[in-house]
Amino acid sequence: MTTIAQTNDLTKRRHILRRMLPARGPSNIVLGIIAVVWLVPTVSLLVISLRPEAAFGVSGWWKALLDPSSLTFSNYRTLFGQGFVAGGLLDSLMTSIEITVPATLGVVLFSCFAGHSLVFGRWRGRDVVFLTVVALMVVPLQVALIPVVQLYRELGTLFGLNPFGTIPGVIIFHIAFGLPFGIFLMRNFMSGIPKDLLEAARMEGAGEWKVFYRIVLPLALPALASLAIFQFIWVWNDLLVALVFLGGNVHTPLTVFLYDQNHELQANYWIISTGAIVSVVVPLIVFFSFQRYFVRGVLAGAVK
Amino acid sequence: MSGSTINVKTRTSRRRPWIREHAVSLAFLTPAAIWLLFIVIYPTIDTIRLSLFNESATKFLGLTNYKTVFSTDTILTAFRNNVIWVLIFPFFVTFLGLVFAVLTERIRWATAFKALVVMPIVFSTTASALVWATIFDNSPQIGAVNAAVLTVSDWFNPPGAYPVSAAAGQTVADLVGSNAHAKKNNTIVSTSSARAGGTINIGLEDITPATLTLLKAQDAVKPQPMSGAITGVIWRAFSPSDPTNKTDVLPGELGLPLLHLSLVNSQGASVATTTTTTSGQYKFSNVGAGSYFVELGSSNFGSGFTGISWLGGGSITPVSGLGQTAQALLSVPLADMAMIITYLWIWAGFAMVLIGAGLASLNREVLEAARIDGAKEWQVFRRVTVPMLAPVLAVVLVTMIINVLKVFDIVLNMASGASVNATPTLAVEIYNDGFTGGIHSGVSSAIAVILFLLVLPAMIMNLKRIKGV
Amino acid sequence: MASVVLRNLTKQYSGNSAPSLEMLNLEIDDGEFVCLVGPSGCGKTTALRMIAGLEDITSGDIEIGGRVVNDLPSRDRDIALVFQSYALYPHLTVADNMSFGLKLRKVPKDKIEEAVQSAAKILDLVSLLDRKPAQLSGGQRQRVALGRALVRDPAVFLMDEPLSNLDAKLRVQTRAEIAQLHHRLQATMLYVTHDQVEAMTMADRIAVMNLGLLEQYGTPRELYNFPSNLFVAGFIGSPSMNFVTMRMNRNEERILLTGMSADSKIKVTLTDEQSEILRQSDANEIIVGVRPEHLVEGSIDHPGFSAVATVEVIEFLGNDEHIHAMSDDTDLVAILNAHSSVARGDSINLSAPHDTVHFFHPTSSLRLN
Repeated sequence: MTTIAQTNDLTKRRHILRRMLPARGPSNIVLGIIAVVWLVPTVSLLVISLRPEAAFGVSGWWKALLDPSSLTFSNYRTLFGQGFVAGGLLDSLMTSIEITVPATLGVVLFSCFAGHSLVFGRWRGRDVVFLTVVALMVVPLQVALIPVVQLYRELGTLFGLNPFGTIPGVIIFHIAFGLPFGIFLMRNFMSGIPKDLLEAARMEGAGEWKVFYRIVLPLALPALASLAIFQFIWVWNDLLVALVFLGGNVHTPLTVFLYDQNHELQANYWIISTGAIVSVVVPLIVFFSFQRYFVRGVLAGAVK
Repeated sequence: MSGSTINVKTRTSRRRPWIREHAVSLAFLTPAAIWLLFIVIYPTIDTIRLSLFNESATKFLGLTNYKTVFSTDTILTAFRNNVIWVLIFPFFVTFLGLVFAVLTERIRWATAFKALVVMPIVFSTTASALVWATIFDNSPQIGAVNAAVLTVSDWFNPPGAYPVSAAAGQTVADLVGSNAHAKKNNTIVSTSSARAGGTINIGLEDITPATLTLLKAQDAVKPQPMSGAITGVIWRAFSPSDPTNKTDVLPGELGLPLLHLSLVNSQGASVATTTTTTSGQYKFSNVGAGSYFVELGSSNFGSGFTGISWLGGGSITPVSGLGQTAQALLSVPLADMAMIITYLWIWAGFAMVLIGAGLASLNREVLEAARIDGAKEWQVFRRVTVPMLAPVLAVVLVTMIINVLKVFDIVLNMASGASVNATPTLAVEIYNDGFTGGIHSGVSSAIAVILFLLVLPAMIMNLKRIKGV
Repeated sequence: MASVVLRNLTKQYSGNSAPSLEMLNLEIDDGEFVCLVGPSGCGKTTALRMIAGLEDITSGDIEIGGRVVNDLPSRDRDIALVFQSYALYPHLTVADNMSFGLKLRKVPKDKIEEAVQSAAKILDLVSLLDRKPAQLSGGQRQRVALGRALVRDPAVFLMDEPLSNLDAKLRVQTRAEIAQLHHRLQATMLYVTHDQVEAMTMADRIAVMNLGLLEQYGTPRELYNFPSNLFVAGFIGSPSMNFVTMRMNRNEERILLTGMSADSKIKVTLTDEQSEILRQSDANEIIVGVRPEHLVEGSIDHPGFSAVATVEVIEFLGNDEHIHAMSDDTDLVAILNAHSSVARGDSINLSAPHDTVHFFHPTSSLRLN
């Protein structure tokens, strides 16, 4: 039953009672500017990749925005048209996939097992092992490179299989250095699963493997998804390990491909930009498609 | 059914499944354990060992490699660069993250903004480095930054029509052909003077044909003297048919248009200005008594701003007057700054997300209590919100410090040519010394060990934090 | 110290169909201890937060000390709020928590020291001044929250269910301490709680609220003896008042109230006065209310209410017993002396005198007598 006078008072009150700092308007403006600035590099890369080779260095990429008709897919056509020629874009893409997918699967799998063991196992020394894992998380991988190369060489002399210079060699290394974070993540997530669930299962006669496979694993899917994303993106984008183990190789992943293009043939910016876009598209797809897994709240209603 | 005690042997049925449980549980741990042992733990220890040996790992050298590390210039430079990174980057990225997290609380499109800012993490550092290398490129035709800088600077300080190329070693004095001399302030003054009704001609050389075409120069014309005025021609004194004659205006020689001239009296003060025509002619009318010189101002020869060489070898040297090594160690390569900016673009989103989560979990009532206690919004933020965020801020800081100690990809892909010597980091040096060129596993391992030691405090902090949980 | 006046205070959250607070009119005198009490969702906390300036006012006015504070930010209203969760600054010591507001106002150091020390003495916090909230027990934190308010020396103390996070024993103890504090300071205090015992024991006046509306505002005695409607009658007093719906027969000179069923075992006899009042109402049924503590076992002379009931549950409380007995499909609760020999399944007589019987209109639920 507000009168007109009171309604006018309302708006006044709302204005005055609004929080002073930072107000909504300026925030929107500032963040809007920042958003544009943040987009510029990505957009520039895209635009450069869509311009003909000759245009680079002659006029700034921003000029192309004023003349959208000058944009073309010719760079992509050229590079993809090469097919799977060794050292080409598609070949490097395949190599990246061949490295990243197994490395991700390996880390996810082993971390799952290890996490379960650390949370639900009842053996002594679990805490020590976990603390070790936490400690290992910060170890920089530079510290292990040379000895692992030598280790590989010894494997070669002992078994005739030297992983150095091979894709499995890279995968093995990536799995190793993905494990500390992976185990940490899985262990933390799994310790949030109520032990009652497992005890109920055990009382019904389930063995440890069944408990893991039928109860813990399904419930841990959200964490698995996050780990998979992190690991995938990390390995896909790695340069150092690939350089060390696959440096002069015929088939190299996309990061090395880009690095080579940049250092040996500096004027090949049309290759670099196109390759960079391709290398970026895959992690973006992974990121956006797995996002949904984050929203699951599977535990609700499972325990009464 | 006798009265004797029945020895009921309870089947140790509880034992067997119990052991099997243990076995399975331990088996779960085994793959990870093997991996970590062989590829992480053992190699780390082995690296420490290698750092004490020579390059072929045959001779025990004790701490010699470490001595080498601390006396090699490139490695010391790497140290300096890592220090620069650690001092600058973590604080700025945390600050940016805090600002973004706070501002995004107020807007409706927070999710979209966060996705945008976080996205660069998903790109490889390599790709990001390459993108920003173009943005920072010297040439304004490529680099957006220099294009913007030059546009602004040209507006304030436009280049002259006849810029002198310092890069090519050209000075204003080189332009003087006849009847003129260059002065210290980069002006050119006529040697001869004139009174009203007289003429002063100045010949210049070393001017590119391209400039003349651009300025639409016409053939030079010798001017007629006019009473009460001083006239003349400024022309390019170069004729292929008679190259040595610079004092006469020969046919076919071109006048120099768009030169800003001042009429300078015998005291040196400027009394009039004018600009040359397309044929190089000029006229100062209504000249008073006395003799005058003609002066070509320095603005004619200014090259304007040629752009900042972001990724070149330039450095900012805060302190001067020290010995060369100390000097080198205290200067900050411009390229480092460019790379840090790039790295901020990549990681600000990470800081923002973490701090945003911390912000969302703050107890709102404590903030309300502060408001009731009399705090204005800024005071609430500074005295309550930020201190309560301290743990999250610390996590972000430490994580970024560790991240930055290992920085590699970005240096490898952004530094080039001149800046390669100025910008290496420890990780780059490890790679260089261990895997390219002269392979010295001992030195490389030594650097790796040092890197590990640098990271150790963070490890201890993490352990303390987890143990307390 | 100051008075607080709420005029037609309304709060409507956009997106809700009903207002959370509707036209609340309340006057709290200077130095008075007033409780806002009611079940969850009744609007009591909303009202408190609006007075504190933490919620926008949809319509209506709030006056503190005679001046309208609608447009003033919290910090200028001269109030202090004790939060239910205490809301202590986790990174500051107890002393710093209490002096935070004073420091902001640039009060000189020695005055701050004085204020903190005196508040700490009153609340027995002197030995805890250097500790951080995380190192304190629940009761200690509660006292720090009180201390923070005390140090401000505000015109009005606002308290939002400050005892609800304490265990039962501590609650009783702290209740007394707050009452003592009020007596000592003669401060105006507005106290929100869902516990009617707290309200009854501490308040000068109680405002009973339900679903955004004020049901009754009066002293504890008034509310107890003369509840204005069914809700207040049932809310105040524990165990709650017994309610029986009875049919009213107007046919004869006297009004008769009979039970709903034919073989009803509940009888209500009216005095002439009561009969007159009921005759004037338009109802065909009347809700009769009797408090458990007013029911006695056995028959009395001139009973107003009497019922024959079968004992179902006996709750032994030491000196008293709470008897739950069934009569006419209605559960009646009576408080009897524990020495009685009543046992489960027994049939007992429960009666209450005329002046303890209340009558309520079935649709408007207003008390008729």
